[in-house]
Amino acid sequence: MTVATRLRFALLVSLLVQAAAGVPGAAAAAPAYEVDRAQSSLTFVGDQQGEKFIGTIRSFRAAIRYSPSDLATSLLDVSMDLKSIDTKNSERDAALATAVWFDYAHTPVATFRSVGPLRATKDGAVADADLVIKGKSKRITFPFRWTPAAGGAALDAKVSLDRLDFGLGAGEWADDSIIGHRVDVIVHLALKPAAPSP
Amino acid sequence: MALQSTPFRWGALARLLHWAMALGLGYAVGLGLWMTDLPVGIQKIKTYALHKSVGITLLGIAVIRLLWRLLDDRPLPPPGTPRWQHRAAGLTHVLLYGLMLLLPLSGWLYNSAAGFPLRWFKLWNLPRLAEPDPALKALAHDLHVYAAWTLVALVVLHAAAALEHHVVDRDDTLNAMLGRQPPVRRKDPPP
Repeated sequence: MTVATRLRFALLVSLLVQAAAGVPGAAAAAPAYEVDRAQSSLTFVGDQQGEKFIGTIRSFRAAIRYSPSDLATSLLDVSMDLKSIDTKNSERDAALATAVWFDYAHTPVATFRSVGPLRATKDGAVADADLVIKGKSKRITFPFRWTPAAGGAALDAKVSLDRLDFGLGAGEWADDSIIGHRVDVIVHLALKPAAPSP
Repeated sequence: MALQSTPFRWGALARLLHWAMALGLGYAVGLGLWMTDLPVGIQKIKTYALHKSVGITLLGIAVIRLLWRLLDDRPLPPPGTPRWQHRAAGLTHVLLYGLMLLLPLSGWLYNSAAGFPLRWFKLWNLPRLAEPDPALKALAHDLHVYAAWTLVALVVLHAAAALEHHVVDRDDTLNAMLGRQPPVRRKDPPP
């Protein structure tokens, strides 16, 4: 074994230890938060025929661990029930259920999971995360603002996605002038410290 | 070809607006009947977009017609027209104008309440008349459909009356709107 290989091996071991520490329940983990559902929102802004529309994902679950001083064990893990999407338009909501869009029958859940340690920014952190929609996984960069508040904190983020990366509205629906390719996802999570596990 | 109407002929602008409205209405109603049964897809969205664009255009034409009507002269009724017939024609025209405004406006309201965008021929987006609202959506839909059928019925009546003038009475009513110059068949004024 060369020195370089040993160093790489040591680095790998330390990363594995850090990853293990990130598992909920590990002693040195960043503090866990739970979502205040009434104060939080998960929405996306789409564009149809030149007009913006807002979709609300009413049902989602989030496991958040975060500490600015312990970014290695901080993690974001969100599952979204796509069937709870409401775009204030019953025809559009019905279309989103079909195979060409979210295909609720086969892929009713989307997941978002941070990968590796977070990196600090001026007002929060940035995570690399795997976003899985309709069975298609994409590694995205997810910067968020972290605002400590009385009895908890707020996490705010906005990321731009290309719907075609997830096979949403392919074929004839790929026409950008009818349904825009770009979709902005806006996250506002009101967080309070998770109740200590029994 | 005079732009303005005279006591015997509709002017070029009045005729242009009248026939543009007739063609546009036929097209919009045809699209409206066809589009609702299309399967959900781009074709349906594009057909609705076209129906809405034509409808908004007709709203503009209806407003211009009303404004022009205030400024323009107009042909006299054919000599010897019974008073009731003149009144019935007048009433029909008032209803036609009302429906020419109500039809696109109720469609616009329906579209807004349903939460759909409104873009005129891929050029400009128009503002919402209301926020998305299922109850208002149902009301506006019914208003739009009933207004459409009422307008179709009145247009049939209007066209039948015009043909009756032309074929039975053999007067100049239809010619005045066809722009035939000089009068082909005009009754002599009563002695």
